[in-house]
Formats: sequence, structure tokens, C-alpha cells
Amino acid sequence: MGNEWRDFAEGVWQTEINVSNFIKKNYKEYGGDSSFLEGPTDRTKRVNGIVNGLLVKENEKGGVLDVDTKRVSSLLSYGPGYVSDEDIIKGLQTEKPLCRAVNPFAGFRNAEQACKAYGYEMSEKVREHFDYRTTHNDGVFRAYTDTMKKARHVGLLTGLPDAYGRGRIVGDYRRIALYGMNFLIDEKKKDKAALGELDMSEENIHLIEDVAKQLEFMGQLIQMANEYGCDITRPASNAYEAVQWLYFGYLGAVKEQNGAANSIGRITAFLDIYIERDFAEGTLTETGAQELIDDLVIKLRLVRHLRTPEYNDLFAGDPTWVTCSEAGMTTEGKSMVTKTSYRMLQTLYNLGSSAEPNITILWSQNLPKPYKEFCAKVSIDTDSIQYENDDVMRRMYGDDYCIACCVSAMQVGKQMQFFGARCNLAKVLLMSLNGGKDEIYGEQIAPEGKVYDEGTPLNYDEVIKSFKSYASWMARLYVNTMNVIHYMHDKYAYERLMMSLHDTNVKRLMAFGISGLSVLTDSLSAIKYAKVTPIKDDRGIIVDYKTEGDFPKYGNDDDRVDDIARDVTEYFYNELCKTPAYRNAKHTLSILTITSNVMYGRKTGATPDGRAAGEPFAPGANPMHGRDCEGALASLNSVAKLSYACCQDGISNTFSVTPETLGADMDDRVNKLVTMLDGYFVQDAHHLNVNVLNREKLVAAMEDPALYPSLTIRVSGYAVNFNKLTREKQEEVINRTFHCKM
Amino acid sequence: MKMEYNSEKYLYVHSFESMAALDGEGIRYGVFLTGCPLRCVYCHNPDTWAFPGTPYTPKSLADKISRYKPYFGDKGGVTFSGGEPLLSAAGINATAIHLREYGIQYALDTSGCIPLSDDVKTVVRGADMIICDLKMWNDEAYIKYTGTDMSLVLGFLGFAAKSGVRLWIRTVIVPGINDSEDIMDKYLTIVLQFHPEKYELLGFHTMGFYKYDNLGITNPLAGAKPLDNDTLHRLQSYCNAKL
Repeated sequence: MGNEWRDFAEGVWQTEINVSNFIKKNYKEYGGDSSFLEGPTDRTKRVNGIVNGLLVKENEKGGVLDVDTKRVSSLLSYGPGYVSDEDIIKGLQTEKPLCRAVNPFAGFRNAEQACKAYGYEMSEKVREHFDYRTTHNDGVFRAYTDTMKKARHVGLLTGLPDAYGRGRIVGDYRRIALYGMNFLIDEKKKDKAALGELDMSEENIHLIEDVAKQLEFMGQLIQMANEYGCDITRPASNAYEAVQWLYFGYLGAVKEQNGAANSIGRITAFLDIYIERDFAEGTLTETGAQELIDDLVIKLRLVRHLRTPEYNDLFAGDPTWVTCSEAGMTTEGKSMVTKTSYRMLQTLYNLGSSAEPNITILWSQNLPKPYKEFCAKVSIDTDSIQYENDDVMRRMYGDDYCIACCVSAMQVGKQMQFFGARCNLAKVLLMSLNGGKDEIYGEQIAPEGKVYDEGTPLNYDEVIKSFKSYASWMARLYVNTMNVIHYMHDKYAYERLMMSLHDTNVKRLMAFGISGLSVLTDSLSAIKYAKVTPIKDDRGIIVDYKTEGDFPKYGNDDDRVDDIARDVTEYFYNELCKTPAYRNAKHTLSILTITSNVMYGRKTGATPDGRAAGEPFAPGANPMHGRDCEGALASLNSVAKLSYACCQDGISNTFSVTPETLGADMDDRVNKLVTMLDGYFVQDAHHLNVNVLNREKLVAAMEDPALYPSLTIRVSGYAVNFNKLTREKQEEVINRTFHCKM
Repeated sequence: MKMEYNSEKYLYVHSFESMAALDGEGIRYGVFLTGCPLRCVYCHNPDTWAFPGTPYTPKSLADKISRYKPYFGDKGGVTFSGGEPLLSAAGINATAIHLREYGIQYALDTSGCIPLSDDVKTVVRGADMIICDLKMWNDEAYIKYTGTDMSLVLGFLGFAAKSGVRLWIRTVIVPGINDSEDIMDKYLTIVLQFHPEKYELLGFHTMGFYKYDNLGITNPLAGAKPLDNDTLHRLQSYCNAKL
């Protein structure tokens, strides 16, 4: 390698692709406070001003500023695009900022409907192209069984990635900066040759074809960068190039793929090494370093995909989950906080608060105190960041993992995920009480079983037995449905560029999900501790319940009910593991709903816990709103009991507290928030979204959005601009529990 | 189920608030005990006046509190409030034995209007902090607005000040009753005798009004407005300048 690696500490990273080794050999730990940080430059203010103007226009036009209907999105479909002639970090998805690309590879009809929804018509040229092409969606529906279609239709399985890109795959974009594309291409060619020596099993042929596809797109990425005047065949030789090369990789990925979540990985300790070297060489100042990060973040905030209104119903607020994982510790016990972790947080002040990138702090008890305090201050000021427990994840994923989407951990460049949306377990309970029939449609979905009597109180032991038997049936159907989806996604919409930035022998995770955990848990608790009597309609279907007496409710640190939540989660995970996953993937599970808890609730009949038909669920692993009556910490303790060992794809908890409850002044609030996060995570809890705000502010913003144009709040694993939510979702957020002092 | 009231064996809990962040320093776990000898016209917890609540043995109460130890850090802990927690002084002392084993400190949030029994003296000496309300500024106002004179609270504050335990004194400012600088001067004359670490004013709020309706009792301040923040800040600054 040439001059690009000058002054870097040597290591195995020089002879094999090993970014983690490079980082650990070279990064400079920072234990100081935030006083070194710089504000935005005039240039940053100008460019950010242009972007903010465009965002206002986008909002005025109903959420979509423009669509390029003439071309199909890919790395080379568009010429270079710029925000202004002052861009430092170059590259846009299309030729104009916020102009959305058409990406029909995952599903043609979906893309067409998305165009129509915003008043656009897909061009004839694009249409013709796809007349002769099978999309992922076509493939899936060829193989879906009737039962799979039914489970999808009634909402037992929801949000499945069968009509849009699966996402949640994170390329190791750092590799481009560290090694340059030529080195990476040579390594891939070597891998391909080695695979050629093995027996040509179906899987081996599959993998060889994958690598061939990867190589094709690696070439295209070089060309794409070239159009912006950059030669990424060689490594980056300074901080600017490191940021730019890395961003080109990410940009290529979001041109190719429209997956729900396209996260950027764990980049700041890596970039900090280049910044520190430039400092040492006298070629960069703090102002310049901050400007680089600010400009990268401006670009990341501009990422857009064209979605249908149905999609927005699931994932509200137009999220892209450019999740950026910060801090954490090394396995040797050294903090990975660098000055650039601070610079990333500083963008929320320099550019204003924003939902993207989704800044995720990998929290450890041992992170430097000043950094913890700065994070807490940023949370209190912006409600834009989330926290995940590094001490728990590091045990399972080592120290070079990142978060994809909201809460999904994976080793960067070494693991990928087959995203699996979620299964509505509250609905499975209702189905089990109705002998396999759906409580809304009345259709027989699962095998026929005992229908519980009207007028006779439910017996817990009997109910839990039939629930488990249906949950087991559900688990098998769920895994099989996922296998179909991911087989077809690999076949028709393979992520060629992102996977080229992974090891060839990548490890695969298949990420399943649960929704309705708190509703299911409280319902089972009601059946166990109170008297629950089914009520049928004239079809003979149980549609409601008479619940008499009190019962323990999830969210009050009461083991009697919290154990139920823990047990059903473990049971369902173990049942999932019984059916083999496509390409030998490892089964994982999350308790996360994004904002679709509103939609799941709409598709679920009345439940024994007293929740009316159609009423929203609580998000993620949250207790149902209003039922956690012993305050914030009791609620946190209940969630902390869920086992990460069987939910390795994450346990999402969203927490809202009023500033006054947290403390009298900023110092007091910062201290208490830090103490609270430490106290929650030391119990091996996994994730926390933190909002420090008043309900009154949200109500005011709902009535008059102009009052708070950039009001950002954490919802379920991500942040949204409050004004981008529908009224229904805004009301649901406002109804959630706000922990406040009486 | 009819429960026999037994203050020797049990503490009677009205409710828990696992993040009562303001009742003391650090993160506080609030235990609200039932029973109160006073009937303040501006009470925001009238539902705690009468016994009994949910009975807890000292051990079971300490066990429950201990679940929150991870959040306490160096400064936090449990705060016994109410109602009047010192009516349960014996029970708190018994609980404190277990709390000490867990390494958890406790604060008391009291009206101080309670005779200085041996149990009360012990519970005060064992606390890491006393937050005592000074409800009114003279006997006349005390009797008018709380139902009792101020001899007990003066005795209590005297004992607390001498015992060396950290002491905060607090006053709720109610519009039309005590929201003036003139009256603050009268409070300050009393407060200064006891050298508290802090004299804190709280604004009267109406968030507890619904409880009067639920309990079917007359709310003496029905229709009153909460104290505005500006007045609160003005009076607090006024006091701070004289302490």
C-alpha cells in the first residue's frame, strides 16, 4: 500500500480485511468533556439553510418533494447531484436533493402505487423494463402457501418484507476508506477462486454467484465515485477522503436498495483516527473536523425512499434508520469514546435536532463520566438519541458490532440479518381461545381446536396450554414464511453492493419479532388472577371478555406478572428455533414494534386485559400506557427482566419523563438521567429511548405544527419529527405514560 | 377480605412512586404511608389521610425498596412520605434495620407536627435527611389552615436541628394565603433559627383536586388557581437572599 497508511500502527489489518484490528491499534481514547467542540461554520450554516428550506417545501407538498419517474434507481442511473457548490462531502441518491428514486426490484406494484399516491406516474420505459422481470414480490407470492397468505391477511404476521427491500443489512463502509476498492476486489476474487475448489453443492454455487454479483457492483461503485471526481480504487489518504470514501459506499447502497432500514454502522472511532492524523500533520483544525462531520450528517439527513401510504402506516414519519452506533467499550475494557463521538452528537446542536441519523449510544457502566453527561444533556435538549446496553451486547457480539435499524446488533461486515418483521402474539392468544379462528374475520386460520364456552370463566392452566400449542404452530409457520421471503429476496433483489462489503463467508441471523407482548401478558395475568368470562357474537366467535376483579399488571415490577412476559417470550423463541432457518441462519428475536403498534391494535379484537377492540398496543416491550402506576423505575425494572439471551435482536423500551420530574435544573437532570441509565442497564436491560418533555408541548404541537417545526421525539427504536406523524399516531404518543411527579 | 389494623407488625402504604425525583437528593423511591394528624386546606393527597393502606411488614417493604438500589447512586435512596410518615415511626425504624443491610439510606418528608416520642427521635437520628414542612407562619394561621397550632413543629425542628441530620425546610405557597414578601419575612424569622441546608418553596397546584371528588369530601379550595411560576421564583429569590 502507498502513502495512505503512513504513521498508522501496524497490525494484522495490513494483510487481511480487519477494520476492527485497525481501529483498536490506532484510535485515541478521549476521556475529557465537551468543551473542545466547535459550532457550525458559515458554510455549514448556508448549506444547512438550503436543506432546511427544502425540508419545508417537502412538508408542504405532503411529504414528497419530487420523484424521478424516468429511471430505475441504481448506482449509475443518475449523474452527480449536489446540494450546493459548497458541498464538502459529495453525492446524492438522485441528481437533486430530496428527489426520490423509483426502486421496483422488491415489488413493482408497490413502487407504482407509491408514485401514484403522490401524484406521479411511472414512465413507460421503466414499466416495460419490469414487464419481463421477476421482482422479489412476484417470487414470494409464487411460493406462499394459502395459510401464509391468510396469516398475513388477518394480521397474525405483519410488516413482512415481501414487497419492499428487507434492509437491516449494514455494509462495512469503512473498508473502502481503509483499503480502497482495488484491494477489496482482489480479496473477493481470491474468495471466489477458493470457493471454486469446493464441491459444487447448491449452497456453494449460490455463494459463488453471490460473489460474482458483488464484484459487478464493486466495479460500478468505482465508476460512481469517479463521476464525482474521486478515485476510490486506492485507500483514503486523509480525513476528508475517509469520510467521503465511506459515504460513497453508503450512498451506493441506498441507490441500490430501498430496505426499510439502511444503517451506516459504527464509524466515528474509525474516522477519528484519520482526523487525529491530520491534526498531527497540521492539515486540519477542530473547526474543519466538525465541518466534515456536519457535512456528512447533512447528507445522511437527505436520504429518502419512495413509500406507499400503507408502508407509512407501519413505519410512520418517513424513517430511514441511518443508525449510527457510538461509544461502547473494547473487549479489553477500554472506552471507545473518541472526540468524534462528541462531534457526532454536536451535529444536533450545529444543524438542529433531527430524527436522522439515528444516533445510538452503546452504553457501558464504564464509559467516561463526562461523555455520559454530555449524552444525557443532548437527550434532554433534543430527544433525539437512544441508548443500548454495550455491556450485554459486547458479551455476544464482541466490540465491533453495530446497531441496524433500532435495536438489532450485528458484527460489522461479518454478520448480516434476514429481517422478519413481527408476529402478533396477542392475536395468537385470541385465536387459541377461538379454536384457530380469527376473532375479526371469523375464518379458520390454524388447525381446529377447542372453542372456549361463553359464560364460563377461563381456566388459566387450560388457556396457557392451548395458547402454547397455537404459538408453536405459529412459530413454524412464521419461520417457513420467512424462509420463502428471504430465498426470493436473495434471488431477485440481492444486496450486491452491501454484501460486497461483508466477509464472503458471512454469518446470517434471522430476526423474528413479537408484537403485543404487554397486552398478551396482562391478558394472561387477568385470566390467572381475576375472573375472565368470554362473550360471543352471533357467529359463535369470542369477541369480548368480562373481566372482574383486579390483577397484577406488567410494568409495576411485580414478578407475578413480569414472569409471564419472560416465560412466553422464552417459549416462543424456543419454538422458533425448532424450524430450520434459510441458509443456516441463527434465529434471533426482538420485542419491537416501530410505530406499527397502532396498526397491530387496529387489527386485534378485544383482549382479556380490558383493552377494547382496535385500541393501540403499547410500543415494543413497553407496559401498556396508564397501567404502570408505581412510577418510572418500576416500569423500567419490569422491562429489564426480559431476557436478552433469548431476544438477541433487541428489547425496545421507550421512556418519556417530564423535565421537572427529572430535576430542578440542567445539572440535576443530567446527573439523574445518567444515574437512571446506569441503574437500568446494570440490570442487563437492553434498550431505552429517552424523551424529556411535557405532554402539553406535544398537544400544542399537534394543534399548531408551526409552533415546533423540528420537534423530534423518540418513538420505538427511532426518532421522528412529530409533525410527520398522522393525527392518530400523534394521539397515541400523547396517550403514552409520561412519568411525572404529582 | 377484612384486614386487622396492626401498627406493631405492619406499615400501611398508600402508594409507591418509584421516581419521586424531587423529594430529596438523587433519585428517590417514594413510599407514601397512610394516616395524617393534619387536615391542611391545600392538601394534595387527601386520599392518604385515613388508615389503612396496603400492609407491609418491615422486611417485605425493605425488600421492595431494595429493587431500586441500582438507581440510587451515591445520593439517592428511599423517601418516606405520606400522609404523615412519623405516625409509622416504629415501623420505619424496623424497616431501617433491613435498609441498612442493603446499604440504602432514607429521608423523611414530614409535617413535623408529631410529639417527640422515642421512636420519632430514633427515626430522625437514623435518617440521612429530613425534609420538614413549615406550613404556616404563626399559630393563628396554623390553626386556621391545618387544624393544629405550631408547638409540635417547632419542637420537632428544634430536635432535628440539634441531632445534626441534614435538614431542608419547605413551604407550599398558596395564592391568597401566603404569597407575599411580608409573610415570607415571618417564615424566615422561624426558619433561620434552625439553620437548614435549604429553604425551598413549592407552588400550590391543583393536580390533586380530583381526589377530593373521588373521596366525596369537600375541597376547601375548590376553584382555586395554581400558583404561577413567576411568583414562586420571585419569592424563592427573595428568601435565598436572606438566608
